[in-house]
Amino acid sequence: MIQVRLEPQGREIRLPKACTALKLLRELGLGINSALVIRDGELLTPDRRLNIGDEIVVRTVTSRG
Amino acid sequence: MKCRKCKALAAVALPSHNTAFCPDCYPDFVRSQVERAVHRHKMIAPGDRVLVAVSGGKDSLALTLLLHELGHDVHGLHVDLDIPGSSTDARAACEGFFAKLGLPLTVVELRREGLAIPLVKSRIKRPICSVCGKLKRHYFNKFALENGYSVLATGHNLDDEVSRLFANTIRWDASYLSDQGPVLPAADGFARKIKPMYRLTEFEIANFSFLRGIDHVIAGCPYSGRASFPVYKGLWSGLEERMHGAKVQFYENFLRDGRPVFAAWAEHREDPLSPCTVCGYPTSAAVCGVCRIKTMVAAASDTPNT
Ligand code: SF4
Ligand SMILES: [Zn+2]
Ligand SMILES: [Zn+2]
Repeated sequence: MIQVRLEPQGREIRLPKACTALKLLRELGLGINSALVIRDGELLTPDRRLNIGDEIVVRTVTSRG
Repeated sequence: MKCRKCKALAAVALPSHNTAFCPDCYPDFVRSQVERAVHRHKMIAPGDRVLVAVSGGKDSLALTLLLHELGHDVHGLHVDLDIPGSSTDARAACEGFFAKLGLPLTVVELRREGLAIPLVKSRIKRPICSVCGKLKRHYFNKFALENGYSVLATGHNLDDEVSRLFANTIRWDASYLSDQGPVLPAADGFARKIKPMYRLTEFEIANFSFLRGIDHVIAGCPYSGRASFPVYKGLWSGLEERMHGAKVQFYENFLRDGRPVFAAWAEHREDPLSPCTVCGYPTSAAVCGVCRIKTMVAAASDTPNT
C-alpha cells in the first residue's frame, strides 16, 4: 500500500501498487503544477517512482483569498 | 530528472520554463526572477523604504524573505480581520516569521476600527470579499502614507494577476485594464505599489516556501468560497498544462500591447482625487469608501431587528 494524505483537506487515500508521482496526481485529478508531492520531507518531480510502504503528502498550492 | 545548474537529482520540475532544479539551486532561480522583475520595472529605488502587506500565506511571507535577502529595507504590515477560525493563525504566522527574521511588523486590528469582518459581513449587503479587500487596501495605503513608506509591496503572483486580468477582460472593464500591472506609480499621495513576484506561479512559490521552511498558514478563509477567481485559476492551469507558457504570454503581451491602449483611453476620464472630508484619505468622492462603510455599519447597529 502507498499511504497518501491530501493537504489542506486532510483526506487520506491508499494506492494498492507502485506508480509515479505523475500517475498519482492524475489519479487525484490534479495538474502537475497544482500540487507538491512530498515524501519524507523531500519534494518529488512527476517522474519519480512511489513504492509500496511510502507515505506521501500531496499539498495543493492554490492560495487563500 | 536532473538539476539544470548542478545535475543533482531535481526536486522541482518547471515545464513552462522547460527546466528543473535541485533543492539547493531552486531558491536561487526564484530569487533571480524577483530580482529581474524589480530591476526591469524599476520597482525599488535606492533608499526606498518598502512596506510589505503580509497575510500569513506563503506568497506574502516568501516575498518578505526574498526582498530581505535582496538587501531591501522591509517592514511588514498585517491587517487582523478578526475572522474566527482563520485570523488568529494568520496573525501568529506573520508574527512568528518576522520575529525569526528579526524584521519589524505592525498589526492593524480591524476590531479596533469597529470593522471586524464578521460584523461588517452581517451588516453590509455586498460581497464580503470586495469590502474586505477595500478595507485592507485602505489600511495599507494609510499606514504607508502616514509613516513615510515610498513603496507598498504585495505578494501577488502570476496566477493572481492572470485571473484578475482574465476577469477584467471577460467584462472588458476598461478602467481596470488601464492600470493593471506589476507597478502602479505613486500618485496623489499614494505610495508606489509593486508586485515583485508577478512572474512566479503559485506552484513556484509553494515549492520555494517548502524548501525554505516558511511556516505559513495553509487553511483558507471560511468566506473565500464565494470568490470567482478560483474558477479562473482552474481554467488557466488546465490551459497552461496544454500550452506551456500561456500564462506569461497572456500577461506580458497585455502589458506590452493592451494596457497602453486602455491607459490612453483612461486619461480622458479620470476623476481627480481630493481628501476625504471625514478622514483625509485621498478619494474621488467627498467621503471615502471606508468612511462610508463605517457609517453603514454604525447605522445598521442603530436599527432594531437587524
Ligand atoms: S477570502 Fe474574502 S473575506 Fe476572506 S480574507 Fe480574503 S477577501 Fe477577506
Ligand atoms: Zn542544483
Ligand atoms: Zn475617509
